[in-house]
Amino acid sequence: MEEWRYFQGSGGNQPLTALELVDPDRLSLFRYGVLTWIDKDGFPFSVATDFLLSENGEILLRKPSAHPTMIGADVAVLFNHITGIPTGGYTDRRYMLVWGRVSEDKGFLKLHPEEVSEWDEKVLPFDKLCAAAVPQGKKYLESLQPSIDA
Amino acid sequence: MQAPSWVQDVFDHYLICEFTSIDNGKPVTFPLLFFYDNNSAKFVVTSSILFSRKIEHMKKNPKVSLLFSNPEGSGVEKHVVLVQGVAKIGDSDLDHGWERFLPMWRKKEPYIDGFLAAREQFAWFWKRIVV
Repeated sequence: MEEWRYFQGSGGNQPLTALELVDPDRLSLFRYGVLTWIDKDGFPFSVATDFLLSENGEILLRKPSAHPTMIGADVAVLFNHITGIPTGGYTDRRYMLVWGRVSEDKGFLKLHPEEVSEWDEKVLPFDKLCAAAVPQGKKYLESLQPSIDA
Repeated sequence: MQAPSWVQDVFDHYLICEFTSIDNGKPVTFPLLFFYDNNSAKFVVTSSILFSRKIEHMKKNPKVSLLFSNPEGSGVEKHVVLVQGVAKIGDSDLDHGWERFLPMWRKKEPYIDGFLAAREQFAWFWKRIVV
């Protein structure tokens, strides 16, 4: 599962707002987010947290009870949805991964999005996602070529 | 060390984890199917070469984390567990190296055999790296 849509909000004179980068209607389809940053020991650290969209389109994450070290650092917030199937497995896969930074704002963490990557299997079926990812597969195979040749 | 039973339930029954690799200092998190081997107490994920950017990240920086926060479809109570560790990449046998995990995969996704039957159609999806 990787991106079918990727957007980076840099390069212009004005930084893009959350609303311009993240579709609030799509974001509202998710129930919670997973906030991840790189902790002092160099390992990724993730917490699951609730979120809400303000009237101004700001993404406000409920502040985790500990670990304030993510303030000002690069963070990733994954919004993920799947639906379990009673007989096993799942369907309705969609996710949105938003990179950016967070700042403290009235008891919440305000997310300042910089890049977005997302996939929704109802928009891009899995077989088409696979077809779109062939260049990455080719690149990986080529990276292995020296060891195969040896 | 034996994990508490509620943690063991999460490892045994949750379908997916939120897996994070590091790309040039930035976290990259995706939902991934995982397998937990009770004998070795190690986690395994596999990745098609089609979606191998995370593998490239791990080859440069093997520090990863797995968050278990989504009980959807697992039939067990919700708990949240974070595991941090060092990833070891196995890509010497892309065609068959991952097949030993098929029994665990089948338990999570019973319909995977139908997809596997179309192996020719999805040839590169079934070239998989083991982590």
